[in-house]
Amino acid sequence: MTEGKKEKFIVPIGPQHPALKEPGNFEFTVDGEIVTDAAVRLGFVHRGIEKACETRNYTQDLYLLERVCGICSHVHATAFVLGVEKLAGVQAPPRAEAIRVLAAELERIHSHLLWFGVAAHEAGFDTLFMYTWRDREVVMDILETLSGSRVHYSVNVLGGVKIDIDQKLSDLIKKDMDFLEERTEHYMKVVTTDETFLGRTRGIGTLSRDRAKLLGAVGPTARASGVKRDIRVNAPYSGYKEFPVKMVIDQTGDLEARFVVRLKELYESYRLIKVILEKIQPGDIVTRIKRKIPEGEVISRVEAPRGELFYYIKSNGTEMPDRVKVRTPSLCNWGTITDVAVGHKLADMPMLLAGIDPCFSCNDRMVEIRSDSQPSQIMDWDGLRKYGIEYYK
Amino acid sequence: METIKFLESGKLILEKWIESSQTPDENRLDIWISANNLKSVVQSLVENHWGYLVTITGLDIPAVYDQDNVEIQPGQLEALYHFANDAAIITIRVKVPYSKPQIDSICDLIPSATIYEREVIELFGFDLLNTPNTEKLILPDSWPDGVYPLRKSFTNLQDLEISKKEQSND
Repeated sequence: MTEGKKEKFIVPIGPQHPALKEPGNFEFTVDGEIVTDAAVRLGFVHRGIEKACETRNYTQDLYLLERVCGICSHVHATAFVLGVEKLAGVQAPPRAEAIRVLAAELERIHSHLLWFGVAAHEAGFDTLFMYTWRDREVVMDILETLSGSRVHYSVNVLGGVKIDIDQKLSDLIKKDMDFLEERTEHYMKVVTTDETFLGRTRGIGTLSRDRAKLLGAVGPTARASGVKRDIRVNAPYSGYKEFPVKMVIDQTGDLEARFVVRLKELYESYRLIKVILEKIQPGDIVTRIKRKIPEGEVISRVEAPRGELFYYIKSNGTEMPDRVKVRTPSLCNWGTITDVAVGHKLADMPMLLAGIDPCFSCNDRMVEIRSDSQPSQIMDWDGLRKYGIEYYK
Repeated sequence: METIKFLESGKLILEKWIESSQTPDENRLDIWISANNLKSVVQSLVENHWGYLVTITGLDIPAVYDQDNVEIQPGQLEALYHFANDAAIITIRVKVPYSKPQIDSICDLIPSATIYEREVIELFGFDLLNTPNTEKLILPDSWPDGVYPLRKSFTNLQDLEISKKEQSND
């Protein structure tokens, strides 16, 4: 470093990289190896869904909104139908509410296992990545058997659900839950005892409780910092009133805590699914709802795998909504990245980004290290990942 | 029970700024305030640790015309600041006219609000005074200035270009 002049680099990551559902662009300003500033730019797959909702009827919107996300599609549809049902003054039958929760928890399992694999890959632990994704297939198969689709299950309709479970399927799911529980116990042991892995997670990216609160963190990211935010518990909706969940909290706030919280949530999901299958009552799964929704405004909040999902729906008495506002959980948690990144090493960035579960895309992307005094150094995402792994060897 | 208590305590904190209020749902309280008071309102919520900012929703209330095409009510924008405390939600609502859509930024009180503020600036054309970052967040860099896609008058860019051409031909 030349005297009196600090060399400063900006490392752009993305635009394609940091999200499966919403590619974003991060610019990390680095001073040597340490990150001194971080900025975010989104919108690379902005599709104008909120605007599109205003020109389609409620049934069309349901399918459109389910396509906001390819990982947590069911929670989007759930948030929307719960809101519309409230506006219409309709209550879905108890069996339908239980099936909604069942699908939501299956989705949470698939989402957490997916994240776990990706995070392991970012740490250079590809064996773990392969194992978790193999096990994830178990839950994907259940979802496919249940709904006929692996991604957009379309379980919800306005006024209820359109799939039902029988004894045979119920027995299959219970057996699979036992298998996954056993596997998750093994993963928990790996995450909390494997030294190489702990080297990448323990004490890294610590987010204090106050900061997490102030930055508006949600979901497992917030709960790993001791913030008691889980809509399923804070404001039980749909079948969660009948089938309550326990909130998983950790006080440490580092990356390890984010792993532990998500794995513990998996146990809770396995337990809840078994309880639902045991206690679900026979009955109708759908109730009638009118096409025209009375005028009003409603707020619908649900707990997506990544945190609180918020819907604001304004109706004007016609078949089409006046306004639909969607606030996804990743948006809140991005704010925490720009906060925790500062002061950490560039080599930690892949893991920190993975830690909030912002939906990683599998593509390789270009990362350019820019400098005024040196020729550009180009790194792709894979290169940065390898840089991180090498750094910690 | 807790929820009602939270709403009551929230109402007490904000009492002096409330212009009108409404309870659209048992867990909700909507409060209309004047745009000048927004910062004081948010500050008192933050200082009293009442919940957290969930998001900012923008609403477009287009101008109303009578039969002779005379404007009865000018176009307005409304910003809804949703604060949640467990199940209780207080929505702070601020209405501003198209002609002067100015609202104070609350980023110095709640830093994470920047992302929501950038969203309403881009999509609705609010003017957030002293907001730290006004760079584009969602729309492409090539998006024309002064075109706000979530306003009711916006249909698509092609229509916009056609109407511009017609205007220049006139």
